[in-house]
Amino acid sequence: MSFDVALIVNSIPKMLDGLELTLELLLLSSAIGLFLAVGTLLMRISGLWFLAWPAMLYIYVFRGTPILVQIFVIYYGLPQFELIRESVLWPVLREPFGCCVVALSLNAGAYVSEILRGGVLGVDRGLHEAGKALGLSAPQRFIYVTTPIAIRLAIPAYSNDFISMLKATALASTVTLMDMTGVARTIVAKTFAPYEIFIAAALIYLSMTWVIQRGFGLYERYMSRYVKE
Amino acid sequence: MSVVVGWLDEYFWGAMVILRVFGVAVVMAVLFGLIGAAAKLSRSRIAKGLASTYTVIFRGTPELLVLLIIYFGSAVTLTSLAQALDPEVQFVDIPPFWAGALAIALVVGAYMTETFRGAFLGVDHGQIEAARALGLSTLQTFVYVRIPQMWRLALPNFGNHMLSLMKDTALISVIGLEEIVFVAEIAITVTVKPFTMYFVVALIYLAITTAITGAVAGLEKYANRHLERAR
Repeated sequence: MSFDVALIVNSIPKMLDGLELTLELLLLSSAIGLFLAVGTLLMRISGLWFLAWPAMLYIYVFRGTPILVQIFVIYYGLPQFELIRESVLWPVLREPFGCCVVALSLNAGAYVSEILRGGVLGVDRGLHEAGKALGLSAPQRFIYVTTPIAIRLAIPAYSNDFISMLKATALASTVTLMDMTGVARTIVAKTFAPYEIFIAAALIYLSMTWVIQRGFGLYERYMSRYVKE
Repeated sequence: MSVVVGWLDEYFWGAMVILRVFGVAVVMAVLFGLIGAAAKLSRSRIAKGLASTYTVIFRGTPELLVLLIIYFGSAVTLTSLAQALDPEVQFVDIPPFWAGALAIALVVGAYMTETFRGAFLGVDHGQIEAARALGLSTLQTFVYVRIPQMWRLALPNFGNHMLSLMKDTALISVIGLEEIVFVAEIAITVTVKPFTMYFVVALIYLAITTAITGAVAGLEKYANRHLERAR
């Protein structure tokens, strides 16, 4: 057995083709997930039980089960029902890509809403009272006072979650998608050189993680520019 | 739902398999975490560098990829070693159970390294000085003074890592471990009820993660009992 460095160099361009799909999954699911997270957060802090309970159930179920199982339930499971096969959602749920986006978005929504809730709860009550004293209405206080501070407080945790999302996109390869991991697995099946190929893929993931961490770090610094040491 | 009943015993044994993987992996992950944290807090620059490399690599690579590298990598290595001794050998691998447990433990161990490091730093330095003044050796200080005080601080994050570890066990079906996802796959080929069968898998995971959350909450209450009295 030998370690073939040339094979790593040669396989990286092929894997970068898969990178496009990985990025599509990541960005699309994160965007939809963020949308779901804000909705879930508002339901949870609404103070109305019939909104708060479904939100909590949603968070509980999606945080308590593996993403792989969620993807399998949605991709292999849902077509069991005629209702789904005849619904307007079928064009999305028929494709492995659509199913992965649905599963990853629902997952991100559950995790991120908890992160945002942490941010909202971390906002000093005094600021809230100051807003009230200035005559801001409840929605105004939430939008202009709570939200900007909550976002800053939530950035570190959100950055970690974004990286988890990147890692979770690798699961798309289990439902035949050709993301970076999928491409790597196909090349390994042909060359039977697991170390070289998988390590090359890992290197690309690692550099993406680094970029994400740096990016959110800079954003956090920008958002904290008025915070005195 | 009646189709599920006939498969319940299979699911039960599958659940036993993931619980065993989980048990083995928790022990390994705690070991990796403790070694990593000790290395990060040591004065040796080599140890610090190695620990940082470990955490960067395993926190930034997808769990699935780590699993594939360890399982297929070790299979290639072991097969070529075995063929050097005996050319008749076709294929040798580490059993998926152990390869899987090792892979998920390496990933979660990297997260635990950070948690344990923070918790060790959270223990008042005066405690360590007091231990030294009482004549305790470094090892005794570690076991009797630092560990009992750090685990309380590490618990909330540790609980989250246990949940990730539990959920990561589902990945091991990819390399052919006969656990509950595998049971569901077999059941589907017979019954053609994919939703029902995978839904049962999800429910089993939900039950186990709920139990873990409850256990960690109980432990936290136990660990913080001295604070309750003070109030």
